[in-house]
Amino acid sequence: MENSNNVEKLHTDLMTVNMGPQHPATHGVLRVEIKTDSEIVAEATPYLGYLHRCMEKHCEHLDYRGVIPFVDRMDYLAAMNMELGYSMAVEKMLGTEVPERAEYIRVIVSELQRIASHLMFFGTYAIDLGAFTPFLYAFQDREEILRLFEELSGARLLYNYFWIGGVWNDINDDQLRRIAQFCDKMEENVKKYHDLVGMNKIFRDRTANVGVISEEMAYQYGASGPVLRGSGIDWDLRKKRPYSIYEKFDFNTVVGKGEMGTLGDCWDRYYVRVFEIFESIKILRQALEGIEEGPVMGKVPKIIKVPEGEIYLRTECPRGELGYHLVSDGGKTPYRLKVKSSCFTHTSMLGELGKGQMIADFVATIGSIDIVLGEVDR
Amino acid sequence: MHKEIVEFLNKEVAGCGASTTEVEVGDASVVVNAESIKPVCFALRDSSEFQFNVLQVVSGVDYEDRIEVHYILASFTKNLELILKVKLPKAGKDEMVKVESVCDVWKSADFQERETYDMLGVEFIGHPDMRRILCPEDWEGFPLRKDYVVQEVYQGMEVNPAHKINQGDFDFMAKAKLDAQNPKLISGSWAGHVSPELSDALKRKMESLEK
Repeated sequence: MENSNNVEKLHTDLMTVNMGPQHPATHGVLRVEIKTDSEIVAEATPYLGYLHRCMEKHCEHLDYRGVIPFVDRMDYLAAMNMELGYSMAVEKMLGTEVPERAEYIRVIVSELQRIASHLMFFGTYAIDLGAFTPFLYAFQDREEILRLFEELSGARLLYNYFWIGGVWNDINDDQLRRIAQFCDKMEENVKKYHDLVGMNKIFRDRTANVGVISEEMAYQYGASGPVLRGSGIDWDLRKKRPYSIYEKFDFNTVVGKGEMGTLGDCWDRYYVRVFEIFESIKILRQALEGIEEGPVMGKVPKIIKVPEGEIYLRTECPRGELGYHLVSDGGKTPYRLKVKSSCFTHTSMLGELGKGQMIADFVATIGSIDIVLGEVDR
Repeated sequence: MHKEIVEFLNKEVAGCGASTTEVEVGDASVVVNAESIKPVCFALRDSSEFQFNVLQVVSGVDYEDRIEVHYILASFTKNLELILKVKLPKAGKDEMVKVESVCDVWKSADFQERETYDMLGVEFIGHPDMRRILCPEDWEGFPLRKDYVVQEVYQGMEVNPAHKINQGDFDFMAKAKLDAQNPKLISGSWAGHVSPELSDALKRKMESLEK
């Protein structure tokens, strides 16, 4: 009797643990302050800003062409997609027509970048959950894409390849042939990878029914991209508000179905990303067929002066919707360039998602949202 | 679409003073009174006609006499997009302007409003956790205001110390302009940091070209 009374008098308290800023599972320099009740997260607060460069302020002092290298450095794993949105926003304000061939090259390059980015997710997510080998497989394939980009633009990560009015450099037939070969190989490989990782018992146990985002919550937090589609919402900007030449292509939107557990769990988000690779391959094949000879640069004035006004333009990036809100006063530099970053909005969900999870599951949740801190902090 | 929204808002929310202007390039926007931003947001979210179920961005622009706060809404069910604005008169340098928070309408407003507070000095009344988000908590000033000057010392550290500035980089553009036949064709930034001799020489060259 005495003993049990003593146990009741024992005092327990929440412990505050810092996860990050230097932590392999936070994918960069994110710090999450976690209040833990033994292994359970009682409260999680994300702290941002470790990579803050105030790129929006820099852009106010740069001419319109000079902004492109800066937008590269936001989401450094999908730099081509970042450039696409910005150059399209400026072109729309200027009324520039982009030549057909340039549009095709833009679609080919940004779909390749999407594949590279999803491969990166696939590899790092497996590492988060304790499997190392998939990372090496993913990097092998990503390497081929990066080599191609290096030939095209001269850089492996931050390209400055999309210019206002078109693209910097033409693509040659040999490169197009290699992309076609890559598509065939990739299709086989992704099937293999999905069987190896996605259907793995341990992987399924770690991700199914973990970090569930309901439809209501996805809308409330403004989620987009694979996170939104993972919750079972059929929304893809390339389909619903086609930009560039996406209306020419026939492809499907991958939507989570809750196959392994609840709709909107980590496995569904994994599933959406991996199966989007197949859709990107579909688009690539059609684009390779449709591309024709022609110029790759439209007519753009030497000094770009965007007429007074504003525009909000969003594109579908690998991590979600990217929006550029460009306000111009008619001068040589943007008056204000606001970037809507999907990673930033997704990070705001972490507090609510983390509550009540095991710490190991919280790591799986952060990984499944797939944030790049360069885009969160800008 | 904007005209219908203005009509709807003026009918639904009394005294919101919604208005819109036609634009030649880019997107049009709807301006409402700052006092009625919250009921306007509720009305737009809950209307069966528009269903703006997602708040994409809260941001702001600093003008000479006012700060405009922009709310960019999107409807994923009706496939619509809207730029909603409120205009807040500015009191002085580094002084807060205030507007009601819309955190109750969309949860995504939480981080977005914190960023606007951090960058532009807009205080959102009724926000549950009004702290800086990207800059350190003890940072001074609001970086995206046009009259912002970086503080010289932060926590005993010199900000932008002279020995870390590579003057060669700044002078590179000025030298290229001096060498070029038509300096106007060369564009670049960093105009403010060029060494005085170079910038004087450049000024003389520009003047002689104009004559």
